[in-house]
Amino acid sequence: MIRALIRIVRWTGPYKGRLLAGCVCSVFMTWATAAPTMFAAWLLAQVAADARGVLALDPSWVWLSVVVLAACIALRFVFTYGKNRLQESIGYEVAPEDRIKIGNILKRVPLGYFSEVKTGDILATATTELAGLELQGMKMVDAVINGYVNLAAIVVFLCAMEPLAGLAALAGTAVSSLALTAMNRASARLTPMAHKQTEALAGDIVDYVRGLGTAKSYGREGAAMDPILSSVRRLKDVRIAIEFGFTPKNVVHLVALKLASVGVVAAAAWGFTAGRLDLWTLLALCAFSFTIFSGIERVNDSAHMLGDLNDVLDRIEEIEATPFIDADGKDLTLDRHDVELRDVAFSYGRGGGKRVLDGVSFFIPEGTTCAIVGPSGSGKTTIANLIMRFWDVDEGAVLVGGHDVRELTCDSLLRNFSAVFQSVYLFNDSIENNIRFGKPGATPEEVEEAARRARVDEFASDLPEGYQTMVGEGGGSLSGGQKQRISIARALLKDAPIVILDEATASIDPENESLIQEALSELIRGKTVIVIAHRLATIEHADQILVIDGGRVAQCGTHTELLAQEGTYRRFVEIRSRAEGWRIGS
Amino acid sequence: MAGQKVLGEAAAGSRSWFATLLSYSSRCRVKMLLSLGLSIMSVGAGFVPFYAVYRIMALGIKGELTWSVATPWLCLSAGAYVASKLLFGASTLLSHISAYTILEILRRDFISKLMRASLGTVQGKSIGAVKNVFLDRIEGIEVPLAHVIPELTGSLLLVVGLAAWLVAIDWRIAIAALACVPLGLLVFAPSLKEYNARYAAYMAESNHVNSVIVEYIEGIQVVKAFNQATDSYEKYADAVRSFKEYTMDWFKSTWVGMNLMASIMPTTLLGVLPTGLALYLIGELTPDALAMCVILALAIVDPIMRFTAFVNEMKSMEYAVADTREFLDLPELAEPSSRARVVGSSVSFDDVRFAYEAGEEVIHGVSLEVPEGSFTALVGPSGSGKSTLARLIARHWDVCSGSVSIGGVDVRAMPLGQLSELVSFVSQDNYLFDTTIRDNIRLGKPGATDEEVIAAARAASCDEFVLRLPKGYDTPVGEAGGELSGGERQRISIARAILKDAPIVLLDEATAFTDPENEDKIQRSISRLSAGKTLVVIAHRLSTITAADNIAVIDGGRVVAQGKHDELLAQCPLYARMWRAHIGARAWAAGTGSKGGGIDD
Repeated sequence: MIRALIRIVRWTGPYKGRLLAGCVCSVFMTWATAAPTMFAAWLLAQVAADARGVLALDPSWVWLSVVVLAACIALRFVFTYGKNRLQESIGYEVAPEDRIKIGNILKRVPLGYFSEVKTGDILATATTELAGLELQGMKMVDAVINGYVNLAAIVVFLCAMEPLAGLAALAGTAVSSLALTAMNRASARLTPMAHKQTEALAGDIVDYVRGLGTAKSYGREGAAMDPILSSVRRLKDVRIAIEFGFTPKNVVHLVALKLASVGVVAAAAWGFTAGRLDLWTLLALCAFSFTIFSGIERVNDSAHMLGDLNDVLDRIEEIEATPFIDADGKDLTLDRHDVELRDVAFSYGRGGGKRVLDGVSFFIPEGTTCAIVGPSGSGKTTIANLIMRFWDVDEGAVLVGGHDVRELTCDSLLRNFSAVFQSVYLFNDSIENNIRFGKPGATPEEVEEAARRARVDEFASDLPEGYQTMVGEGGGSLSGGQKQRISIARALLKDAPIVILDEATASIDPENESLIQEALSELIRGKTVIVIAHRLATIEHADQILVIDGGRVAQCGTHTELLAQEGTYRRFVEIRSRAEGWRIGS
Repeated sequence: MAGQKVLGEAAAGSRSWFATLLSYSSRCRVKMLLSLGLSIMSVGAGFVPFYAVYRIMALGIKGELTWSVATPWLCLSAGAYVASKLLFGASTLLSHISAYTILEILRRDFISKLMRASLGTVQGKSIGAVKNVFLDRIEGIEVPLAHVIPELTGSLLLVVGLAAWLVAIDWRIAIAALACVPLGLLVFAPSLKEYNARYAAYMAESNHVNSVIVEYIEGIQVVKAFNQATDSYEKYADAVRSFKEYTMDWFKSTWVGMNLMASIMPTTLLGVLPTGLALYLIGELTPDALAMCVILALAIVDPIMRFTAFVNEMKSMEYAVADTREFLDLPELAEPSSRARVVGSSVSFDDVRFAYEAGEEVIHGVSLEVPEGSFTALVGPSGSGKSTLARLIARHWDVCSGSVSIGGVDVRAMPLGQLSELVSFVSQDNYLFDTTIRDNIRLGKPGATDEEVIAAARAASCDEFVLRLPKGYDTPVGEAGGELSGGERQRISIARAILKDAPIVLLDEATAFTDPENEDKIQRSISRLSAGKTLVVIAHRLSTITAADNIAVIDGGRVVAQGKHDELLAQCPLYARMWRAHIGARAWAAGTGSKGGGIDD
C-alpha cells in the first residue's frame, strides 16, 4: 500500500509539492472538524457544573457558542478549500500530459508492438485506467496520509489524557492495519484476475457481434451465444470471489476500530472513576469516540483501490518504457530517393518465428515504378512495412537514398514517403482536415489543389457541407471509392518523393474506378513508386516487376521479359486476366 | 430552500431511471430484500452504542459513574458494534452477490437482444459502442445496485431514526440539528442549478476524448506515416487538453460553493449547541438530555454526508442506466411461431418504403419482381439504395411500408429460421466458429455426411489448402487462425453455403472479393453456389453482370430502369454512363495493350 502511495506521489511530478501541501491542509482541516466536538464537550462540562451549582453559566454562551462554531466552520472552510485547491486538480493536470506522452510514444514504437500488447490494453490504459488515477489518485493519497497522521496525533492526545485510551487506540488500529494489509494483498491477487476476465469478455463480445449474421443465417443462435454466456458467468464468479475475499477482512477492520472506540470510552470511564480525569475530558472522549477513527475507517476503500492504481501505474510505466525504434537515429536529409533491400531476412514473431522474408535483395532506382506481385502471404506487404521501418529487419539491411533506414529518425525517414494503405483509414473529422493530415499547416488552397488532383472535388462539391463534411466511422455516407480518393489526396498533399501504394481494395466501386485510377496516376507522377499490385494494367506499366513467392524474390524483370519466361508470373497473369473478365452466369 | 427545490426537480427527472434500476434489482428480489433487511438491522444495532455511551455520559454528569455501573453499558456497546458490523458484512456480501448476478442477467439479456433485434440495426452500431456499453456501462450499474439500494436505504433510515429520537427529546432541537442541511444547500445552490447541464457537457467531453484516443490508436499506421514531426496529432492533443480545461473550469466554478457546503453541512452542532444551551437555561432541557442531543447531532452527520455523496453520484448512475437501456430496449423482430407455406423461390418487392431513421426515407416505393431461378442484378451509384434493397430480402431490417415476399409469403410472416433456410447471403461476413473446418462447413446442413461436406469443400476450392494443413478437415479453425488467409476463410464460408443449398442467393460483389489473389477461386465457388438458384447480385463491376436476366438500375432509392444489358445501354442514360466509366477505368489499365480478358462488346 505504501509503495503504491509513493508511486502516485512520484507520478504527480512537478505537482508533488502541491500534493503534500494539500495533505498538510487536510490535517488542519481534520482538527478544525474536531474542534466543535471538543467545544461541545467543554460546554457540556460547564452545564453539568452549573447544574450542580459549582459555577453559574453565563447566558451569553448561547450567542458566543454560535460565534465559536461559526469560527470553526470558517477555519474548516479555509483548510478544505486550500486542500482541494492544491490537490484535487493535480490528477487532471497530470493525466492529460500522460495521454499526450503516450500518443507520442505510440508513434515511435514498431507497429509490431500493437499486435503484441493488445491494442485494447493500450486503449484501456489511455482512457479508463488513467481516468481512475485522474479521479481517485489524489483522494486516495490524501485519505491514507491524513488517516495515519491524524491517528498519530490522536494517540498522542489520548496518551496525554489517559494512557489506557491511547493503548486501546493503538491495539485497535494495529488489528485494523493487519486486516487492511490482508485486504490489499487479496486485492493485488484477485484484481488482475477480474481484469483478465474483462479483457476476455471484450474479445468475446467483438467476436459475437461479428458472427451474428452467420449464426442467424444458419440457425445456430445457441452455439454462437454459448461461449460468451459462459464468459459472462466466469466474470461474475471472479467478482463474487473478490467480494468473499474482501468482505470478511473489511468486517475485521471495522470491528477492530469500533472496539477500540469502546475501549477509549472504557478508559475514560476508568480514569474518571479513579479520579484521574475531570468531567469535561470524560465527556469529550465519549463524544469523540464515535468519530475518532472515521479517517482510518475510510482507508479500507483506499486499500482496495490503491491495489488497482498500482496496477495502472505498472501499465503506464510499461508503455513509457517501450524502446523507441529510432532511439539511435539521426536527422538526415536524403539527397537521392532510391530504395534497396540487401539480403533481408525477417519474421514477425520475436526470437525467430516463421520466416516471412528470406534473403530478399533488389534495387529500385529513383523515379521508377516497381510492382510487387505474388500470392497472398508471400510477404509483399511486409516489404512495404520494412521500407517505412514499421518493423526492423532481422538480417540484412534496407537502404533509402543510400542510407540504412536505421541511421535515420522515423521523422526524417518518413518525411520521404507518401503511403496509400490497403485499408483506407480516415479520421472522424472533416474531409478538409483528413486531407490536411498529409501536411499539417497546409493552406486551404493547397488542400483544395490536392483534392482536385485526387478527384475529391467531384463529389465534395455536391455535398451540402462540401469539404467540411465529416467522414469516418460516423460519416457512413461516403462510398469506399470516395474514401479512397480522400486518402490519395492526403498522400498527394504530402508530395513526398517516394510513394508506397497498396492496390488491394482499389477498383471495387464501378463509377469511381476510373476516377481512382486518375487520382493514382496524379500521385505517382515523377516519383519513386513501390506498388503492391493486383491489376494487370498497373503491373504491365511498371519499370520493374518483383515476383515474391515464399518469402523470396522468385522472378524480377519487365512485363515482356517475365512473360517470356516459364514461371509464377505467367501463371499469375493468366489467372488475373481470367478473373478480370469474369461474368456471372455465362 | 432554492437548493432543495432544484434537488427536488432533479429527483423528479431521474425517477424513470431509478424505476428502471429497481426493476433490474427485482431480478434478484429475495437476496436483495434480505440484504436490505440485514442493512436495516445493522443500522438498528448501530443505534445501541449511542444510547449506551449517552448513559455513561449522563452518569458522569450526575456524578453517579462507577466502574461497575459502566461495565454493562460498555459490554452492550461492544456487542452491538460487533453485531452491527457483522450484519453489515452479510448485507454487503448479499448485495454484491445479487448485484453481480443482476449484471450477469443484464448481459445475458443484452446478448440475446442483439440476436433478436434486426441485424441491420445491430451492425449499424459501431463495435466500440457495443463493447463500451456491454462492458463498462453495465459494470457501472454495479455501484447503485450493490451500494445505493442497501446503504442509501440504511443511511436514510438512520437519519430518520436519529431525527425522530431528537424530536422525542425536543422538537426545537431536532429542527436546529437539521438546519445546517438547507443552509449548506443554499450556498451550493448556484452550482447545483447548472449541474445537469454541466454534467451533460462533461460526459460529452469525456466521450469525445475517448473516441479520439480510440481512432488515434486504430489509425496509428496513418499517424506514423504522415504525422511524425508534429507534437502528436493536433486533434488528439486538442481533445485531451480541452477536456482538461473543461473539467478544471467546472471545478473552479464550484470550489467555493462546494467547500462551503462541505464545511457547513456536517456542523450540526451549529444549531444544536446554542439551542440546547438556551433550552437548558430556561429549564426545559436537562444536562444529560443535552448530552444526548450532542451525541445524536454528531451521529447524524455521517449518514447525511453519505446521502449527499450518493446524490452526487446519481448522475453517473443515471447515464449508465440510460446507455444500457438504449440496447436492452431495442425492438425485436416479430416472428410467427409456425412455418409458412412458401411456394417456389421467387422474390417480390411491392411498393417498399424504408427509412433507417424516422423521417429520412431512403427507399421510395420500390416494386420489383425476381422470378424463381432468374439472375437479377441491382446496379446504381453508391448510396442509391441497392445494398439496402438486397438486405431487406434477408430481413436485416423490416420495411416501413409495402412488403418483401418470397414464394408469395411476406418475409415477416415466416419464422426467421425458415427465412434463413431460403436465403444465402455471400458477403465479407465470413465468420467461422471456433471448431474444426469440417464442423464449420457442416453447419450448412447439420446431418450432412462426410462425403457431402467434402464435396461442398471441393466445389468451393477448399480442398487444396485444407489438405495442406497437418490435420486436414479436422484442423480447428482457431488453431489454424494464423494460417488461413481471408480468402481461404471466405471459401470455407462459401462451402458452408453450398452445403446449405438455399434456393435464393444474394451476392454483394463489393464485399465478396476482398482477396484479389484468390479472386478467380472465389469466383468459381460462387458460380457453383448460384447455379440453378434465384440469384440477386449487388453489382459494382458491370462487366460481371452483362448476362443477367434482368438488371434493375437503382438511383435515389427508386428503380429508374429495368431490362437486359443491351436494352439498358440503349435506353437508360445513367446505365450507359456507368458502363462507359467502367470500361474507361479498364482502358486506363490496358492502355496500349489488349489485356482485360472478356470485356463485352
